[in-house]
Amino acid sequence: MVPDAESPAISLVVRRTIRATAARLFAAWTDPAQIVRWWGPSGVRCTGAEVDLREGGGYRIGNRFADGREVWIIGTYERIDAPHRLVFTWRLEPGPDHAERVSVRFEPRGEATEIVIVHERIASAEARASHEAGWDGCLEGLARFAGDA
Amino acid sequence: MRSTATARRSAADDRLDRAFHALGDRTRRTLLARLAKGPAMVTELAAPHAMSLAAVSKHIRVLERAGLVERAIDGRVHRCSLAPTPLKEIESWLDFYRGFWSGTLDSLARHVERGDGSRR
Repeated sequence: MVPDAESPAISLVVRRTIRATAARLFAAWTDPAQIVRWWGPSGVRCTGAEVDLREGGGYRIGNRFADGREVWIIGTYERIDAPHRLVFTWRLEPGPDHAERVSVRFEPRGEATEIVIVHERIASAEARASHEAGWDGCLEGLARFAGDA
Repeated sequence: MRSTATARRSAADDRLDRAFHALGDRTRRTLLARLAKGPAMVTELAAPHAMSLAAVSKHIRVLERAGLVERAIDGRVHRCSLAPTPLKEIESWLDFYRGFWSGTLDSLARHVERGDGSRR
């Protein structure tokens, strides 16, 4: 399910096919002037975006929630492979100081592009080394059990 | 007030870190999958694994520290059971970002389909 060997076993995968080219979507994702126009789910207003688009470069995106709270998403680009793939770290400010990583793939599907987002919490080097498929179903089973408990 | 909220958030965060760490290992996930079927003694948990009882015990301690497993000791018998709280916290984490990303991709689709992407 998660092809990268360095991925931890637990990650969230969200997919969406959008009628646009990968180049267009990649630009929307990396141009701060565009980011402020679309970023965030409904109820969140993007209050600003800064992008230093190079591997090792940083980004920050402001998010104002419906309750007035403002949270900045801050991170570093780990991999930039335009217009196919973007990998960046992810941290909330204010928020906990732990590492998360987001990988966005832009995969052509005819005239559309499928965006595949993998959001992972980087537990440890050990976790990263022990990637395998099939954990999702296991977690669901455990969660069902937990819900019943 | 603010520092209390921060401390609480970081305690929850530490718990989540421990849970993700504990779950990042195949043997420990197998142990949890077994415990999802019901409580078991440490010796029963160790039986299917090609490793020593001590090694399995070490994995169980990691799961205990993460709050994923509780151990009841009756004399020499150690009985382990699955503890659901950290799994619920992981589910909350997954749910938050599932909602965040699906909503964000809706916004992106609206943005590019409107044609805003080609304008300044």
